[in-house]
Amino acid sequence: MTRIFIIASIVCSALACVAAPAVALPTMIRLGYVDCAACHISPQGGGPLTVYGRGIDEAQSLRAGEYKPLENDLTRLLTLRGRITEDVRAVFQEQDTWTTGASARLFRPRLMYRNVSDLGGGFRVSAILTAESSHAPRPALPYDPAIGGTTGFVNTALVHYRHGAALEVAVGRDQLPTGVNIPDLGTFFKARNRLGYYDAPTQIKVFWAGKRYHVTPFAYAPGGNEAPGERERGTGALAEFDLLGHGRTVVGASVLNGTESSGSRRTLGAYTRLGFGSWGVLAEHDVTTRARDVTAGSFGQRASYGQLFWAGREWLVASVIGERLQVDLPFEQRLNAGKFELAARLTSFASVNGNVRVQRDALTGRVAKSLAIQASFKTVY
Amino acid sequence: MKIHGGWTMAVLVAVAAPIGVDAGQSPVSNAGVPTVVEVRGGTASFDVGTNIPALRVHGKSSQVEANARLREQESGILLTEVKAVVPVRTLSTGLGLRDEHMRRYVFATSDGQTPDIRFTSDTAECAMPSRQATTCRVDGQLTIRGVVRPFAVALKLTRDGALYRAVGDGLMKLSDYGIPLPTQLGVSTSDEVKLHLEFAATPGVGQTVATTGGGR
Repeated sequence: MTRIFIIASIVCSALACVAAPAVALPTMIRLGYVDCAACHISPQGGGPLTVYGRGIDEAQSLRAGEYKPLENDLTRLLTLRGRITEDVRAVFQEQDTWTTGASARLFRPRLMYRNVSDLGGGFRVSAILTAESSHAPRPALPYDPAIGGTTGFVNTALVHYRHGAALEVAVGRDQLPTGVNIPDLGTFFKARNRLGYYDAPTQIKVFWAGKRYHVTPFAYAPGGNEAPGERERGTGALAEFDLLGHGRTVVGASVLNGTESSGSRRTLGAYTRLGFGSWGVLAEHDVTTRARDVTAGSFGQRASYGQLFWAGREWLVASVIGERLQVDLPFEQRLNAGKFELAARLTSFASVNGNVRVQRDALTGRVAKSLAIQASFKTVY
Repeated sequence: MKIHGGWTMAVLVAVAAPIGVDAGQSPVSNAGVPTVVEVRGGTASFDVGTNIPALRVHGKSSQVEANARLREQESGILLTEVKAVVPVRTLSTGLGLRDEHMRRYVFATSDGQTPDIRFTSDTAECAMPSRQATTCRVDGQLTIRGVVRPFAVALKLTRDGALYRAVGDGLMKLSDYGIPLPTQLGVSTSDEVKLHLEFAATPGVGQTVATTGGGR
């Protein structure tokens, strides 16, 4: 039974690597894009792009074209004369995973509708709705059960209020803010900290940005799809600073304190995004202290992530990624993983990426390998 | 996309020239004798903010070329006939389309030419009280797209054995050259552009031996 659980956990963990509800590109730090707000309507990233973001999206594609918003009666109708920004995104993922005594294949097509509607007076609403036939929950752990997927899922439903260029408040349902903010939700520091595809708690968050800093305090409550006993609520914050003031040397810290009837967790994290023209580094280290009602005391969890990326072409980014996870007794785990990833933006509406990942359990010696390919398409007008 | 910083490069070039001069001088062996110094492969970079807090635009060229005459004096180093050039085609912001826009909208003349950015200075004097490091101001003229304007750069020179290292910073305004603020899809740059330059050179060689990149 234990063996089955371990294998299932490894396969599930690998499958979670293909989960990404929206595409944010922290690798843009290499060109001085300090955070996501330059190109995404939401300061947290992901979701529809601003007009400028669409321009960058097209400029950094293999086609390297010039984006010009369509101006005709149909687009004026669809956008309500510019008040609505929306797209439909289709993602097709194929992943094969092998581990000792088991293998798994996942083909996961998804269809997303993403909408941001400007209400005027600084207010807007945003939503991301997903329909899918196969699910990619984060690993189910004895101390942290997974949230199951559904055919239809509301990833994001927020009301935003923006005051000038520096302050925004958002209330609703979404993923919690994270440090490095990579789109891969299967990484240890995300999957083991309730940042999986189906984690969308109710929350209020504030984005406060200056020339060289960005602060994001937030408070959250259950999203409604959690298991009994796992309906966590809590508070947290991110704070990051552009060290040299050039937009390429960001360091930050995160804190989160959550409680539920089955236990609690407290996470402290540090992260950095560094850009050097055609290459850069993303790194994060999170230390979580957890308590469960089935344990006598608390236990620790440490997750590390490091990514070295290189944009050989503007449209082609290669990355070498290393990860490490350590969980203390009584749920001891020691996992190390390495991944090579290649991401290509063919046009503003089509991109492909692939990765090879190897994960080793230092306690059992068990190795899991996976190969994943993803093709994404979206409407642009 | 019209977010550019090419002007900055010009400024950088300007900075580079004086630096090269200093770098090429040996305060002991060349005392009193004017020496022609050449600089090739200097690195110049620029940084300009935008109306979006999360975005700054950077650009860089590693092909700054300059020459000047320098003479050691009791009070320090005298630079004359400083000339520096930054080929516009070598300026890069990391985004190909943005670079294309920069050349087209910032550096192209009305007849479609893209003349290089040039800096000239008749004379500049850098005191070196410690003979190890100095900061001096180099005044000259910066020419961009045929428009000539006064320009000054603050240089910090450090002597490291036979090696001179030079770092320069300057500030310029696009409006001084009559350049409209580059704007693309709602994002526009600030008027002020920061310039940064880094060189290292050996005395008498007249050629930059090391660059460490500006990256501002």
